[in-house]
Amino acid sequence: MIKSLKHITAVVGLAVTMSVTTVHAQEIKIGALFPLSGGLALLGDESLRGVQLAVEERNAAGGINGQKIVIVKADAVDANQAVGEARRLTSGDSVAAIFGSYASGIAVAATQVTELAGVPYFELGAVADTVTGRGLKYVFRSNSTAKNFADRSIESLTQVVAPALKVDPKTLKIAIIYEDGPYGTLVGGFQKDEAKRLGLNVVESQSYSAKTVDLSSLILRVKSAGADIVLHTAYQNDAVLFFRQAAAASYKPRAVIGAGGGYSLNDTAQAVGAPMEGVFDVDFPQITMNEAGAQGLKEFVASYQKHFNMPPRSGHSLVNYVGAKAFLDILAKAKSTDKDKIRETVLAYKQPAGSSAAGWGFQFGENGQNQMATTNLMQWQHGKLVTVYPASVATAKPILSN
Amino acid sequence: MSLLLQLLVNGLLLGGSYAIISIGLTLIFGVVRIVNFAHGEFLMVGMYVVWLCAQHLGLHPYASIPIVVLILFGLGALMQRNIIQPLLSADGHIQIFATVGVSTALLNLALILFGADIRKVDASFGTQPFSIGGITFVSGQLITFVVAIVVATALHLFLRHTYTGRAFRALAQNRVAAALMGVNVNAMYVLAFGMGTALVGLAAALMTVQYPAFPTVGSYFVLTAFVIVVLGGMGSLPGAVIGAMFIGLIDSFAGYYVGPDLKEVVYFLVFLSILSIRPTGLFGLGQGSE
Repeated sequence: MIKSLKHITAVVGLAVTMSVTTVHAQEIKIGALFPLSGGLALLGDESLRGVQLAVEERNAAGGINGQKIVIVKADAVDANQAVGEARRLTSGDSVAAIFGSYASGIAVAATQVTELAGVPYFELGAVADTVTGRGLKYVFRSNSTAKNFADRSIESLTQVVAPALKVDPKTLKIAIIYEDGPYGTLVGGFQKDEAKRLGLNVVESQSYSAKTVDLSSLILRVKSAGADIVLHTAYQNDAVLFFRQAAAASYKPRAVIGAGGGYSLNDTAQAVGAPMEGVFDVDFPQITMNEAGAQGLKEFVASYQKHFNMPPRSGHSLVNYVGAKAFLDILAKAKSTDKDKIRETVLAYKQPAGSSAAGWGFQFGENGQNQMATTNLMQWQHGKLVTVYPASVATAKPILSN
Repeated sequence: MSLLLQLLVNGLLLGGSYAIISIGLTLIFGVVRIVNFAHGEFLMVGMYVVWLCAQHLGLHPYASIPIVVLILFGLGALMQRNIIQPLLSADGHIQIFATVGVSTALLNLALILFGADIRKVDASFGTQPFSIGGITFVSGQLITFVVAIVVATALHLFLRHTYTGRAFRALAQNRVAAALMGVNVNAMYVLAFGMGTALVGLAAALMTVQYPAFPTVGSYFVLTAFVIVVLGGMGSLPGAVIGAMFIGLIDSFAGYYVGPDLKEVVYFLVFLSILSIRPTGLFGLGQGSE
């Protein structure tokens, strides 16, 4: 009896081991580290959706060299949790690579862990230049950076706004305002540098806490400085607050150029209402840009609508989808999960501009940064965010009243 | 001159918003002697209730005041009865952790139920600015300001001149002695806590006109509310109102003259220097009143 019991145990044990090994052979685990709860949850979730779509698409087409991709989700609301979750993914779950992370603070913290663990980290959405600027070998980024945002906003001012107003950009009085977290400080700082380099007239530059409930004094300052153009780097609530209180103070600059985050969201436009009309916004490529310069955009939007029963809530899903797709392609080309092999493949990977659904091409620098990622200038026209610059992806002409 | 006046008006009106949020907090602290870290989340819950009323019943935020006040009273009473009361004789820090737990739970519950999107109530009445002699007022802020003053005065009179008010004050002074004098401690605590959260419900209805609702909205206001309550003297109603005006004015003037990024630094510096002179706050009763 005992003998047969042992026999059964051995057989069952063997069967279990076998099934586990077969599962392993057919699956490749990818960590997805995003803020899925807490204050950053909205766009964190939107970013994750992009990764999910890219993975499903790849799995439907046979996965990575016949292996099915399995996403292991990790919720990191701040730097602390990012460290913990990155540890869990790299040691407990033994993922082949990690995709992340929407917020720069989270990316910086998580990559410290993954670099030591020797797991490649693919950043798809965080914009701080420091993410790829710290000499880490296995951190790669597909998306554009804070410097791209800042340079594009100044370029928009000199190339689009000033010509449309028929004035020399140097005669315009500019206010640069930004939230005082890492995101706003970086973009605002680069904007100031670039404006100085071009000899533009910055009359006011101020930061404020994104958690403020009152911007009336800031608006009074900008208004008394007589600023014609406001460059505003903000999250959602402070963007809403700015317009509401600017209206109350009857301050109407000739143009507002927002950067990223809050300025691109339909929610923000709805909350702000009429004053949002005509506002410019520099951000990641959005789904409303011209298909001609962004191959596969229509398919992405259709697939998003099918999966989530709503149109994309912002461009974050798009850029995460595009980045994830490229990196999955790279993992397939590397034919290995060895970190050095992956790095080699990343650096050799090249795609021309306009070849992805975001309009980006791919070519990675030694620091792991995709040098062909850009930002676009958009404008809220008749309640919709349309792309107005650069011309290759524009769907409308900028509207400015003199 | 008109700039100075405008800054003054902006500061006082902002102070009105802070005041209405702080009154409930200081009442709970003054009577139940609990530092309620979930206060901001109760504000958030209130704002969602107002938003739901607007969405489904088409009510203007001001019209939904009775509903939101009742619901928040119930929630507060429930929290006192089921979470705080069993911990009454426990250490202070255990009670604090309990309120922090409630705060985290409510925040994440809101994320599950509503997502992180911001929900705005479309109210035309209350958002319109009007101006008198070049000074701009936002009507909703002015209403909030007036309501804050009226409510604080009414509550002050209630505490002075009614039996329940006297019982509240007795409890604040010494819980055991109050019980010996025949005050029903548990019932009074439930009532006081419920009143405190009902007041934050009122605040929510007034604030929803100006600010959209989202899960973390409470944390935008609650730190300032804590500063105000400590500054005014914990448990003191006039302290809360005057503290709120004070912080509002500093916010407005420092934001203009020092810089919007440094206004918090300025008011924390003022806060610290006041506390170093008067450790119990502006209207604190001195030693033992914390």
